[in-house]
Amino acid sequence: MPIWKNLSVIRKFVQLLAFLFLVYGSVFVGFYSADKLSGAFPVLSCAYDAKTADYCVLIPLQHQLGHGLGPAIAAGKFTLSLLLPILTTLGTFLLLFILLNKAFCGWLCPLGFFQEVLGMIGQKLRLNRTESLDDNLVDRIRPAKWLMLGLLVILLPLASGLGFVGHELGDPFCQICPSRILTSLFAGQLNQLYIDTSSTGYMILSIIADLLFGLILVLSLTMRQPFCRICPLLAMHALFKKVGLVKLVKNYTPRCDKCGLCAKACPMDIREIHTSKEKDILMPDCTLCGRCVEFCPDKGVMALKYAVIPIKVSDPAYFKERNKAQKRWEGKQKPSRRVKKD
Amino acid sequence: MALFSINAEAAMHWSPVPKEKSHGHGGHGGHDRHAGKPFLLHAGEGAEVQLMSPSKVVQPLTLEHGRVSVKAMGTGNYHALVAKRSVGDLHESAVRYIYMNGKPSGVSPSLLIGHEKSALEIEPAPLAREHWRYYSNTDAQFIVRFQGEPLAGAKVHMQTGNGSSAEFAANTEGLVTIPLPEDFTYEKPGRMANPPSEFVLTAEHHVGTERHITTFSYGYHINPEHWQSTELGLAVIGGGMFIGGFITLRKRRRREKK
Repeated sequence: MPIWKNLSVIRKFVQLLAFLFLVYGSVFVGFYSADKLSGAFPVLSCAYDAKTADYCVLIPLQHQLGHGLGPAIAAGKFTLSLLLPILTTLGTFLLLFILLNKAFCGWLCPLGFFQEVLGMIGQKLRLNRTESLDDNLVDRIRPAKWLMLGLLVILLPLASGLGFVGHELGDPFCQICPSRILTSLFAGQLNQLYIDTSSTGYMILSIIADLLFGLILVLSLTMRQPFCRICPLLAMHALFKKVGLVKLVKNYTPRCDKCGLCAKACPMDIREIHTSKEKDILMPDCTLCGRCVEFCPDKGVMALKYAVIPIKVSDPAYFKERNKAQKRWEGKQKPSRRVKKD
Repeated sequence: MALFSINAEAAMHWSPVPKEKSHGHGGHGGHDRHAGKPFLLHAGEGAEVQLMSPSKVVQPLTLEHGRVSVKAMGTGNYHALVAKRSVGDLHESAVRYIYMNGKPSGVSPSLLIGHEKSALEIEPAPLAREHWRYYSNTDAQFIVRFQGEPLAGAKVHMQTGNGSSAEFAANTEGLVTIPLPEDFTYEKPGRMANPPSEFVLTAEHHVGTERHITTFSYGYHINPEHWQSTELGLAVIGGGMFIGGFITLRKRRRREKK
C-alpha cells in the first residue's frame, strides 16, 4: 500500500507537524506572534514551554477559577462579569472543538503523539505489546478522566481561590501534567523537571508529576496510550462531543457481532464500537484516530465523516492492504516465555 | 521597601511602586484586576510620560510626585510605559513593559516591542512572559537599536536592586546577552517567599554632539534551583520507570499464565 493512502501514516505526519508547531511554534511564527496565537487558539500545548506557539485550555481555566472566581466569591464580590473570562476560554476552545471535535487528541496532541511514537519504538524493539487491556481494567480506568477534570481542573483550583486549600493547589493539574515536562524537555528546558522542596504540597505534586512521567515513558512501550485514558481533556471533549463536526458513524450489520476487528484495532479499547447498533459511535474515550474505520473489513459499515462529507469509509480492499502493511510493520513478535518452553 | 539603591547618576528609569504587603500571588497581578498599577519614574523630572497600547495607541500620562497609575486602554496584553526628555543635546528615554488584564488585544505584542518608541532603545529579545520569568543565574537577551536599526557593539550597563552592576557589549547585530546575577540573599524556599528585585539596563549613544540615553527596567526573581532539584526529579522519573517496568512484567506474567 502506498504510504500516502495509509490513514495512519497520514495521521502520523499531521501529528508530527502539530508536534513541531505546538512545541517549537515561536520558532516558526516569531515569539510574540506566538503570544497572539496563545490568546486566540487554546489547544494542547504548554505555557511552561518557552518556545510554544500555543497553550492548553486547562491553564487559563484553572487560573480563572483559582485567581478570579474563587477569591471573588470568598470576598462576597461575585458578579456575572467574573464568569466572562471563563466563558471566553471555554468559548474559544469550543470554537476549535466544533471544527475538529475529538480529533484534537488523535491528530494534534503532542503527548498523544509522543506516546504513540514510544509504542512504535516498543514494537520495533520486539517488546511484547499488550494490544488490548482487560475489559475490567478498562472499566476501572474510565472514570479517572472525569475525576481528573472535576477534582484537579475545577474543584481544587476553586477551593484554593476560596482559601480552603493551599496556593499550590491553584493549578494542580499543571503541577502533575506529564505534557509540561515533555514539551519543555523537547524545547531544551530542564527547568520543569524537578522535585520542589519549598512546601509539602509542592513536593508531593512534583513527585507525582515525575513519577507519572517515568511511568508513561515505560508503559507506552507496551501499552497503547496510557495517559490518554486518564487525561482530563478527553473528559472535557466528551462533554462537547455532540457539537463537533467530525463524526464517527457505523451502519450496523449482523456481521459486526462476529467480527470485532474495529474494537481490537482501537487504541483506547472501546469495545462498544463493536457491540453498538447505534449510528453515532463517537464514545467519550474516542480520540478519532480512525483506526476502527481502517480495520473494518466490510464496505461502508464504518465511516469517519466531516459533517456529511465522508473522509474515510471502510472498504475490504483497503482493509486487506492495511492489514498487510500493519503485519509488515510489526514484523515477527517475540514469542512469550511460555511459548518458548513449549 | 526600597527596591533600589540607585546612585545619584542613575539614568531615568521606571520601577513599580513597592507593595506594602505581599499578596502572595506574585506574577498574576493580584485579584483586583481593575485597579491601576502604580509606577515610579526615577530621576525623571520634566519628562513626558505616555502609555502605549498593544495596537500602538498612545495615552499621555501625568506624573504626580514622580508617580503614575496605569490602567489598561480598553484591551489587555503588554503595554509600554514610556518616558522621554530632551534638554539641549541630551535625549533620554525610559521604557518598561507592563502586562494589563483586559479584553484580548488581537494584536501581537511584537508590534509594540518592535515599534520605535525612542531613537535609542533596548528591546527585549524576547520579553519573559507567561510562566517564564527573568531569573537570577540565567541569561537574558536584548537588542539595542538606534533609529530602528541594531546598534553594533553598543555598551549596556546593568544595575540591579540587589546592588550588582556590570557592563556588557552588544555583538555586530546589536544583540547583548545579560547574565542576570545570583545576588539574592536566600532565606526561605519558594518563589513567593522571595520577593523579586529589579534590574535596569542603560545604553548610551553619541551622534556628533547629540547624546542619547535609554533604559529598560524589569523584575527578576531568585532562581528556583535553590528549592527545586533536577537531580531528585531525575531520580523520581527513574523510580516511575522502575514501577512501569514492574507493572509491565507482572501483566505479561499474568497473561502467560492464562
